[in-house]
Amino acid sequence: MAHVAVRNLSVTFKSNGVDVAAVETVSFALERGETLGIVGESGSGKSTVARALLGFARPGARFANGSVHVGETDVLGLSPAALHDFRGGRAAMVPQNPLSSLTPHMTVGAQLVELIGLHGGETGKAAKDRALTLMDETNLPDPPTLFDRYPHEISGGQRQRVVIASALVARPELIVLDEPTTALDKSVEARVLELVRRVQQDLGATLIYVSHDLNVIAKMCARVMVMRSGKMVEEGATQQIFQSPNASYTRDLVRAIPGLNDGRHPMPQVGQSPVLKAENVSFGYALPGLFRKTGPLALRDVSLNLYPGQTLGIVGESGSGKSTLASLVAGAVAGHTGEIRLDDGTQLAGLAKRRSQTARRRVQMVFQDPLSSLNPALSIEDIITRPLRLYFGQTPAEARDAAIRLLAEMDLGPEFLPRRPRQLSGGQQQRVALARALAAEPDVLLCDEITSALDVTIQAQVLRLLRRLQDSRGLACLFITHDLAVVSQVAHSLLVLEGGEVRDFDDAGAVLAAPKSPYTRKLLSAYRAQERNSDPSAASQSDVLDAV
Amino acid sequence: MADTTLNAIPRQENRFLKALASPLTVIGLVLVSIHLILALFAPVIAPYSISAIFTDGLTPPSPEHWMGTDQIGRDYFSRLMSGGRVALLVSAAGVVMAILAGTLLGMSAGYFGGWLDDVIMRFTDALMSIPELLLIAILVLTFGKDLWALTIIVAIVYTPGVIRVVRAKTLTIAALDYVRAAELRGEASWFILGREIAPNLLGILAVELAIRISAAVLKISALSFLGLGISQPTPDWGLMVQEAMSVVFTDAWFLVLPAIALSSLIIGINFTVDGLARAYGISSLETG
Repeated sequence: MAHVAVRNLSVTFKSNGVDVAAVETVSFALERGETLGIVGESGSGKSTVARALLGFARPGARFANGSVHVGETDVLGLSPAALHDFRGGRAAMVPQNPLSSLTPHMTVGAQLVELIGLHGGETGKAAKDRALTLMDETNLPDPPTLFDRYPHEISGGQRQRVVIASALVARPELIVLDEPTTALDKSVEARVLELVRRVQQDLGATLIYVSHDLNVIAKMCARVMVMRSGKMVEEGATQQIFQSPNASYTRDLVRAIPGLNDGRHPMPQVGQSPVLKAENVSFGYALPGLFRKTGPLALRDVSLNLYPGQTLGIVGESGSGKSTLASLVAGAVAGHTGEIRLDDGTQLAGLAKRRSQTARRRVQMVFQDPLSSLNPALSIEDIITRPLRLYFGQTPAEARDAAIRLLAEMDLGPEFLPRRPRQLSGGQQQRVALARALAAEPDVLLCDEITSALDVTIQAQVLRLLRRLQDSRGLACLFITHDLAVVSQVAHSLLVLEGGEVRDFDDAGAVLAAPKSPYTRKLLSAYRAQERNSDPSAASQSDVLDAV
Repeated sequence: MADTTLNAIPRQENRFLKALASPLTVIGLVLVSIHLILALFAPVIAPYSISAIFTDGLTPPSPEHWMGTDQIGRDYFSRLMSGGRVALLVSAAGVVMAILAGTLLGMSAGYFGGWLDDVIMRFTDALMSIPELLLIAILVLTFGKDLWALTIIVAIVYTPGVIRVVRAKTLTIAALDYVRAAELRGEASWFILGREIAPNLLGILAVELAIRISAAVLKISALSFLGLGISQPTPDWGLMVQEAMSVVFTDAWFLVLPAIALSSLIIGINFTVDGLARAYGISSLETG
């Protein structure tokens, strides 16, 4: 008999009095110790399925039909008290955001001890020892010290490991992970995944892994289920699904995974003079205090040229100074040495408010998180027309017409004008943010990690859009990212930063093929290794089997 | 590329209807409605004038006078109906002033920071360190107790709380990218405060308004009870409770009725605010 059996599961929620299906007749079965990945875009119902395995329904949602069995237990039929024992006992869940699943006012250790008392029974000294062992097993550094720390005092990766440790307290037979690494850096992600895999094998637990990241699924799971709009699109062995997907949607999904060798487009005819020129720029953030001391340099001696129509990719890990560079150019911070100039000779020094209106207009920025960069209280019309009215003095009617044209360029219809940002999906929000930046008719567009908050298919859409806009408008673009695969799709040139210093600066092709610095070589080989392990389109059959 | 994702997003539910699902909210709304109608139309609805004298002293309830007559012989039911008007008017006007001043000062402190923040917040701390009732009493003894003075006093007493809440929320909003985008665009400070930040404060300000009004009504009544607030011949619940103290052992309904009137107003406002705040997703943490 299957260990986990889901039959014809349907989950509905009420919207304006009407039942809307979030999940429709999903069925699958897993033997004990099997691993299943559930992939899909946001809104595909993948998290709803994962929650249902533990008998959770979002507020307003309802299990309309079907059953969930774990072993002999009918999960959806359990009484609230039995359900409480089941969760955290036989089944455990690791959610996406570790900070919100830890109690902020209790130390990490106290929370583990409390859980151990609830599920394991040990108390006092024995519980503390057990907590320390768990922390040790989950590779948390220096458990005795971390034991007394509060959740906000430890890093994101450590928090996620604490949550995993707490999920392991009762040695569960079913572990459900809902995008556990989405909020983490790539290197931290790798370590967390390694840990999850080891723990799963130690416990012989059945594992369900929800993610929008196909690379991660390919690494973690022997089987995969693809979901879209609440329905199951395809289900089967990971290797088979990724190498010869049956459904066209799955093919799109697999194709949308950015790879390093993917669609790098050729260098356009480079103009004579750069539109933006930086020479020997160094910058350190001011330390708090009376004497205006400067901290360690975030940028050291950085020089670059950006030509009209060119995309310059700025690559580096967090803390490399890549966002600081964008902030300096945009005027969000000030106080650098060296020179940043536009082609008309304007110095981009000082904060934005001290610059001329023209200088501000010519440099526009698009931010990482589309939701927080759009004011939730304003309509899309207000948001896009503002630069038109501010910089060009257009009347409301003129600005509205221009906004409709801009939206059309972003593949969005005029029906979006009265909507509010929260009514839009992430990809649509980011396109509105782009439209707002382009409304100013900038010469330099600063893109700060603009695709890192988006799903792969949406990310591919936004990148395509960006390339098209650039070709049609001759826009120069500083594209800041930590993701080599993404940057290789859009950048003509690459600048690699490490600790605020330039390691490589050349045509993208040259940097990717023959990096000059050891750091870039390291970055690339780490990426290639990961790609070999997980990118099913490039990997051979045996590679995929090794990975899963 | 088709925008299929849009259709997948459910339309926003009617939040007001959602709030009505809770019986407490409905009770609150009914109570508040009754009090609003009384506050506005009591002189029209009431059976008798509030100052007309019918008997020569206390009388128990009778068919002519449903709640009897007070010590001077005036109709108690009519006076009870009007007993919240002045307190409610003074509280509402004063709290609206407090919200306006507090929003302006709180946003400025939160957005500009620096010495301005220090000055405003230390001033706020100083005012908040004095117990509210004591502060009101001191101000009444200084400025007198006509309606305008009372309104200004309510405004002064409740401004610091609003400043704190607004400043905290402004700090959160000012850190968001849309404010940074406005700064980089070169917007003037007044535009950023008025157009980018203020609209996002409306939710918590609505809650502030209601909560502070209910607190102010209670304070004004306490003041009247102590003889520092509204005085005869204006009917006022606090005053009526105070007058009833001398006959509490013989004619207890005299004390109970205005107390019920006052409590029902406070409870009504609080239930309504709780229900609406929950439905609109405004956390009580934010409202301090």
